[in-house]
Amino acid sequence: MLTLTHFLTLGAILFSLSVTGIFLNRKNVIILLMCIELMLLAVNMNFVAFSRFLGNLDGQVFVFFILTVAAAEAAIGLAILVVLFRNRQTINVTELDDLKG
Amino acid sequence: MNSTNMLLAAPELWVMVMACVILIVDLYLGEERRGIIHMLAILTLVFAAIITLRADYAADGVREAFAFNGSYIRDTMGDVLKLFSFLILAIVYTYAKFCLRQFRMFRADFYTLSLFALLGVMLLISANSLVMIYLGLELISLSSYALVAFDRDSRLGSEAAIKYFVLGSMASGMLLYGMSMIYGATGTMDLGQVAQAVRSVGSDDPLLVFGLVFLVVGLAFKLGVVPFHMWIPDVYQGAPVVTTLFISSVPKMAAFAMAIRLLQTGLVDMQADWSQMLSILAVLSIILGNVAAIAQTNIKRMLAYSTISHMGFVLMGLLPGTAMGYGAGMFYVIVYSLMSAAGFGMVILLSARGVEAEKLDDFKGLNQRNSWYAAIMAMVMFSMAGVPVFVGFFAKWMVIKAALDAGLMWLAIIAVIFSVVGAFYYLRVVKLMYFDEPLTEAEIDAPVDFRAAISLNGIMMIGLGIFSSSLIAVCMASFGA
Amino acid sequence: MPIYEIVFYAFSLVMLAGAVGVITVRNPVYAALCLVLTFFSASAIWMLLEAEFLAIILIVVYVGAVMVLFLFVVMMLDINVAPLKEGFIRYLPVGILVAALMAAELLVLIWSKGRFEAGAYPLPAPNPEEYSNTKAVGEWLFTNYLLAFEVAGVILLVAIIAAVALTLRHRAGGHRQNPSHQVRVERDERVRLVKMKPEPRQGS
Repeated sequence: MLTLTHFLTLGAILFSLSVTGIFLNRKNVIILLMCIELMLLAVNMNFVAFSRFLGNLDGQVFVFFILTVAAAEAAIGLAILVVLFRNRQTINVTELDDLKG
Repeated sequence: MNSTNMLLAAPELWVMVMACVILIVDLYLGEERRGIIHMLAILTLVFAAIITLRADYAADGVREAFAFNGSYIRDTMGDVLKLFSFLILAIVYTYAKFCLRQFRMFRADFYTLSLFALLGVMLLISANSLVMIYLGLELISLSSYALVAFDRDSRLGSEAAIKYFVLGSMASGMLLYGMSMIYGATGTMDLGQVAQAVRSVGSDDPLLVFGLVFLVVGLAFKLGVVPFHMWIPDVYQGAPVVTTLFISSVPKMAAFAMAIRLLQTGLVDMQADWSQMLSILAVLSIILGNVAAIAQTNIKRMLAYSTISHMGFVLMGLLPGTAMGYGAGMFYVIVYSLMSAAGFGMVILLSARGVEAEKLDDFKGLNQRNSWYAAIMAMVMFSMAGVPVFVGFFAKWMVIKAALDAGLMWLAIIAVIFSVVGAFYYLRVVKLMYFDEPLTEAEIDAPVDFRAAISLNGIMMIGLGIFSSSLIAVCMASFGA
Repeated sequence: MPIYEIVFYAFSLVMLAGAVGVITVRNPVYAALCLVLTFFSASAIWMLLEAEFLAIILIVVYVGAVMVLFLFVVMMLDINVAPLKEGFIRYLPVGILVAALMAAELLVLIWSKGRFEAGAYPLPAPNPEEYSNTKAVGEWLFTNYLLAFEVAGVILLVAIIAAVALTLRHRAGGHRQNPSHQVRVERDERVRLVKMKPEPRQGS
């Protein structure tokens, strides 16, 4: 018998994985962006599960908005990445050290 | 929902329409007629202020009104913060026009993106549901990311933008995870209903507590308080100075309103929990912000650390959970935005063609070059340091008083000690201006509207200080204190 | 009904494997493909939760648009992958520790006192056959969430403006069409009448 616990556990594991990914891939900005998408997926999983088990649609509608914003965010993030690559020929985070102090 | 309800959101609708109009008008303008964009943007702000002032919902003792099925709220706090957003953005535009022309970046994108960010600020100030808080916040953030990378050929600008983007998206993820838990525990998005549900569920539900932790993390990041402050110095320094000017002023008021809506409207019954978290954040910010600022030689970076400490003070106003405290925090955030606009306005003024005057040394001997500008900068620095008579003093005083009234003696003592430490680096700038020899004798030249705006902005530092009681009264009245 | 459990566990495993792939593989293209796999499995799980509209949207918008954008950018930028993975092994133990701690905390919260077991949150009855999830979500979007829906539109507009403002460049010496110029062209700009003397026919 599937309960809310199952789905929330799935969301929690996915969330932890995404945080680990951000931690491990500190150098590669593209993979960092993908880890952020994973994080949003974990959040969405929570919302959809709650929405189903609470029996109201608010959660699903929120997920709709999160998907919209995430698409916009990905577009802007990749645009910034392209600008960064044009200026510095690298996306390695550890080489980004002009700003310090 | 009926049409009168929809009219409550008229200021937002107006700003949205005008941002789109400017976007289109720009297509038909040549390089030499770009000034029209600036005039249109100022016009937008003026009319938005008039529409906001003509609010008639407050008649017969009603203090707030809702629209769009309760997801939008108009109240005194919101209206006051919005009016100051318009005023400060108008000042920002006046500085920005001069700066953008000097740096040959006078493109309409700056105006449209910042107007959309203003729309986000207004929506966040008026948000009354988790969905609207998230969307308002993202509208501000996405516009800000783009504005930071606005100078496309700048190495520092793109580095700052990618750092800001990655950390900002992570913070949004955290905030959303918290929101999902709050939703799970309460079953609603509406902040008023969240408050009711928290009362019936009980504020010690671990799900709510965990949700609150994630919410506070997201909030702390957006306010830029320690230990979620890493992006502030890099972004302030790396972004073009016009962008720094913008993101250091108007969005701070939205972040304050977001804290009020989430914590005071939604999770007021968990005040004991969030008060503790906020006090740790506030103390760390006040200490680290003031200490780290001393070591800086770059004025943008110095003002960034000063922002961190100022946001610590704003949190100090929030955390007692009293109406007095909220009013003090609101007064502080308005005053801070005005001071920050004036501070970065001075940096713009000293920037000669295409080179930002971002070194502290650029302020050397300013008094000999132009004594009025030096006086303005001195007033701003005194105000930020919290010297009596200047408005910054009253802001700090109100916040510390609110903490004392709530019995938080230790917090007040730390705040006072580190304000004194902080005074050192503000006064160092004054010393550089009055007692050092200038590095250059170049004439400081600016168009007349710029001179008027910066003079007005500087005089506010002392004028608002002497006549602070009326603004404080308005802020207090917003929370019924 | 064990079929639900089987579907749930099968897709969950694939999804988590995909997620692990995203954060460990060396090549960004593989990472993007692993992410696609993760989204597909998540979509199937959302079907189980009767969120059919979102399940479809996740595939159409995410796999169809966002991931393709990612792949475009990965392939457009000439990235040297090798140095980007340096230090991965060094951070791995700490990373696993962080993940374990974080997962443990969240799971203790979720599993504590059977907070979310069937007693507190019973599984609602399946929706009737004529129920349309898309219609229900649509009705909510255009009534209760009207303002939010409009703001979402503005956010997409901002994304367009930002992406164009940041990346559009006109190369010097490039040949671009200017439609407004083409439409407004006058006769005199295209046709030149030349006066010349009549010439006798060549040859005969």
